[in-house]
Amino acid sequence: MPNSEKRDLQKPDHLPNLRPRKQPRHPSWLPRQRRGTTPQMIGRYPDYDVFENAENWDAATREVVTSRLQMNDPLRFFTAEEEPALRALCDATTAQDSEPRVPVAEMVDDKLAAGRLDGYRYANMPRDTDTWRLVLRGLDETARSRYGVEGFAAADLEAQETIVAAMSDGSLTGGAWDELDVARAFSVCMRAILAAFYSHPWAWNEIGYGGPAYPQGYMRLGPVSILEPHERPGATSEDPVRIADELGP
Amino acid sequence: MTRGWRGLLKGAVGPRDNDSRYLLNVHRRDLPGQDTMARYAESDEVDLVIVGAGAGGSVLAQRLARRGWRIVIIEAGPFWHPDEDWVSDEAGSHQLYWTQERVIGGADPIELGKNNSGRGVGGSMVHYAGYTPRFHPSDFETKALDGVGADWPISYWDLKPHYEQVERELPVAGQDWPWGDPHGYPFSPHPIGEAASVLWQGARQLGIEMRVGPVGIVNGTFGNRPHCIYRGFCLQGCKVNAKASPYVTHLPDAIAHGVEIRANSMAVRVELDEAGGRATGVTYVREGDAAHRHQRARAVAVCGYSIETPRLLLHSTSKRFPNGLGNNDDQVGRYVMVQGASQTAGRFPQELRMYKGPPPEVSSEQYYETDSSRGFARGFSIQTVSPQPIGWAEHVLADGHWGRALREYMRDYNHWTTIGLLNELLPHPENRVTLADDTDPYGIPVARFDYSLTDNDRANMAYSTKVIEEILQAAGAQDTLTIHRYAHLVGGGRMGATPQDSVVDSDHRVWGLPNLFLCDGSVCPTQGSANPALTIMALASRLAQRIATGRVRAGGDGVPPATA
Repeated sequence: MPNSEKRDLQKPDHLPNLRPRKQPRHPSWLPRQRRGTTPQMIGRYPDYDVFENAENWDAATREVVTSRLQMNDPLRFFTAEEEPALRALCDATTAQDSEPRVPVAEMVDDKLAAGRLDGYRYANMPRDTDTWRLVLRGLDETARSRYGVEGFAAADLEAQETIVAAMSDGSLTGGAWDELDVARAFSVCMRAILAAFYSHPWAWNEIGYGGPAYPQGYMRLGPVSILEPHERPGATSEDPVRIADELGP
Repeated sequence: MTRGWRGLLKGAVGPRDNDSRYLLNVHRRDLPGQDTMARYAESDEVDLVIVGAGAGGSVLAQRLARRGWRIVIIEAGPFWHPDEDWVSDEAGSHQLYWTQERVIGGADPIELGKNNSGRGVGGSMVHYAGYTPRFHPSDFETKALDGVGADWPISYWDLKPHYEQVERELPVAGQDWPWGDPHGYPFSPHPIGEAASVLWQGARQLGIEMRVGPVGIVNGTFGNRPHCIYRGFCLQGCKVNAKASPYVTHLPDAIAHGVEIRANSMAVRVELDEAGGRATGVTYVREGDAAHRHQRARAVAVCGYSIETPRLLLHSTSKRFPNGLGNNDDQVGRYVMVQGASQTAGRFPQELRMYKGPPPEVSSEQYYETDSSRGFARGFSIQTVSPQPIGWAEHVLADGHWGRALREYMRDYNHWTTIGLLNELLPHPENRVTLADDTDPYGIPVARFDYSLTDNDRANMAYSTKVIEEILQAAGAQDTLTIHRYAHLVGGGRMGATPQDSVVDSDHRVWGLPNLFLCDGSVCPTQGSANPALTIMALASRLAQRIATGRVRAGGDGVPPATA
């Protein structure tokens, strides 16, 4: 009964480094999101929606942040052949196994199509755009040769995670991988994936991040008070129904 | 340190000879005077062309414009309109960084871009954290004292009056400083958040002294600049005008005194006269226009920082300098330094919400100087930091987590606080900027930066990482995560006593070219464990004073000022 299990978030026993094989619990222990949206509707702040404060953001920031909610155009940089592996890689590295999803693939595609570089390229690596294409080809090749499936996207999640783990420690070889420093290629891809995922306001809801704060500012720096009026405390072992009642609609 | 009157006057004394704080508009963040700024014809021989509107170039321009010099600043990046261009958002601030292509190599390649490279009017200080420590007196003579690094041709005491002047201009807020040359600050320390207090508590348990500041962030009001609102986006450009950068501290006054800033203009070459003995101006291109333009000038100052300054010099070849300007002794682009900047985050039972308040809050320079019992030369400083979510995700990834484990750590964000290091990594000739085979859209070869650590560097980083991990343990952290990274840039055009071991003399003049100056972080022969911004500004302030008072004659027969 993972959903009804009571947890005290003052304790750190949910953190992967403190758990067997450094693996986290299945996310079903988390409360379901009650306000706003989070990726997969899970999170630690079930009554928090960063958009409830959006009217206090400056116009330029509001435009940049809300534009991320409309990232559903067809891909421009990646080809139809590359798309399945791209989506599978983005899902596996951000653990997005169901809707609603942060559109990481679309956001990465937008960055590469617009030519937004990061300002450096490793001397032993191709340009980031070429690195991405080689990585997706390599993922498909590895999935085919190791698991006999059509491509990376067709492999089951466990197989995908095994391949990504091998990519992160640089131990993949053959085919496209021989044209790359594999561990660095992982860091190039993760840089873009994480910047996309954690720039999305749904991810901010999941982690309880206060969000943009101009011109309003932050006034409660702790310890007496750590919550702004728009912020909500993390989920605790208390009865969520009672908390919701206390917070009001 | 005497408090007395200075204590009473804290927050009440402004700088002389710089009206920037009054020129700013209370209701708009735009740099005042852009529309009415002086415009010089390219055929007009101005007194000085500066390449780069950052910490060095802006201070130099402001000082000399006040002496009547006619100055044009060529800046590769845009002229910001912060109300529209800057956002309270990490990913949305991408355009503040130098993201044009560069190649990194060596055994320990250094990530550039958002990590350490700015672009646009105001330079990298637009997105620096805000820490403004001075260098220590020992930084200027590490070779003599510790047998490592290099000795500067100037001393701390040459810079001290300029540190004091720039601290009043930023203005710097912080507690009285017990390390290096002990000194006070013109503004009182900021209140600190819970995330930083927890770290300070841990340090205290171990007997490590820490102090609040020093930061170039307004505490109170300063002319038309308001108090900080503690929104935590210092690294994304301050929309409040509370954090100091040349955009608010020096360029308003510079423009009011006749400086023209030519933005979106990329310098291609520094041109010399027929004999190759004097700089005559700068060739540049405007964005979206391939035509080469040329601004004539009686003197040139290159202020493009440790990557772009060497790149421009190396690309400016001529008969007298076939390997690049000032590079006949193969010194240009060498001895580029970065600081080790590992960070350790700790988990606490209560929510700390480290994203509130400026990332720079409390720091320590207790380990700054050499202590032979530690087994390496020179030292490090300790500073609190506080990554926003994307920065925190990179931190979690660096500890080896992605997928479900990463999501779990990310959901725990509000329970974490982060402490960081600045290690003094030593200068090395092979850590250098060269020209790569690739070219940018203007046909200029892009920079390649090779970097490798030495054994002393690695020993320093290993020792110091243990210290910050111990601080977190002493504070009661339930779990810790560590990321190894680097920050800041200096060197590449260092000052020295002879052309054989340096690029410029003690007055920033490129050896053999009396009217060509380097005035940015590239001139530093060592870097200490201090963030470089304040020192770059102080160096520019000193150079300007020496030129303005005639101690440096920027050409055989003297250069400007026009009014002199």
